Amino acid sequence: MKFLVVDDFSTMRRIIKNLLHDLGYPNVSEADDGKTALPMLQAGNFDFLITDWNMPGMPGLDLIKAVRADTKLAKMPVLMLTAEAKREQIIEAAQAGVNGYVIKPFTAETLKEKLDKILGPGK
Amino acid sequence: MSSFAILKLEYGACVEALAEALRTEDETAFFAAVDHIVHMREPGMFTEIRKLTGDLQKALERFSIESRLQDIAENDIPDAQARLAHVLRMTDEAAHRTLDLVEQSGPLAERTAREATALIDQVTAYRNRTAEMKGFEGVVRSIDAFLPVVRSMEAFLPAARADSELIRRNLADVLLAQGYQDLTGQIIRSVMKLVEELEAALSNLAKLSGDVVEHATLGEASQGHGPTVPGVTKGEVASGQTDVDALLSGLGM
Repeated sequence: MKFLVVDDFSTMRRIIKNLLHDLGYPNVSEADDGKTALPMLQAGNFDFLITDWNMPGMPGLDLIKAVRADTKLAKMPVLMLTAEAKREQIIEAAQAGVNGYVIKPFTAETLKEKLDKILGPGK
Repeated sequence: MSSFAILKLEYGACVEALAEALRTEDETAFFAAVDHIVHMREPGMFTEIRKLTGDLQKALERFSIESRLQDIAENDIPDAQARLAHVLRMTDEAAHRTLDLVEQSGPLAERTAREATALIDQVTAYRNRTAEMKGFEGVVRSIDAFLPVVRSMEAFLPAARADSELIRRNLADVLLAQGYQDLTGQIIRSVMKLVEELEAALSNLAKLSGDVVEHATLGEASQGHGPTVPGVTKGEVASGQTDVDALLSGLGM
């Protein structure tokens, strides 16, 4: 299973990458904003997108909208992992088509729980 | 009453006092009478002078605020920017240092656990094999069978000790790396003080000019607002993951 982790902070990307590795997903690529991520998603065979919201260039919400508008990517599971915690934002993300929403700071258990829920039993 | 009669009534007493002062050669009374007449003649002038004095004072105050603001804009703000950039650099370095150490320690602990498991398996196999060995020959055979276990132990124990020592050292370094919080905290506090001063100067300036200060809006919503800051973030905010999950399940997710 190939993951793309999009976050403007390299430390957060490393943390997520390490957690995914521990959860048994060693195949992880990184991008620092939506603008870099979108062509990667269109070119590579990614199975799962984890994205932050607040990023310079293209924010996560716009990336999700772009992913959902792309016929090739429209069905890709997307987990939003962000410090944005306003009620209207969570609703907006749900409307944009996220499959899960985790707020920072988060725990390894929360990440595992959401991934399991999105990917279903047997991964 | 004619207008001249009014004048006579208003100024009569003053003129008489002036004449009396001249006659008695009383200098103090003379100037007092002159001042009184001037006051009566130019009542608006004094109000005007008072207003001008007030304006001058305000202008001076404004000048001192503006020159401090200029100083803040020219020196303190770039300085604060540099300090915040330093904070960003320090937090980045500390996080990467910590992650390096964690990434380095994980495989060491894994290796120790893996080799310990292999050793346990070997010991269990030895016990099972030697359970039925009886008599002198049995003892000799069980000693022979134990030799590879001892060799494995001899290989494992120093490696386990070295790995544990390295993990311990890495943990101590992780501890030290957290010192960034203190250092960045101090810098952030100094920037907060500057922002406070800037806010006070701007609000004083706004008061002097009588301008209405409008709050700047923080970019577009699609860009996001950043982490929730207690007491600063407005509107309904999810207090934790449980809140988020409840909200989303309410939306049918």
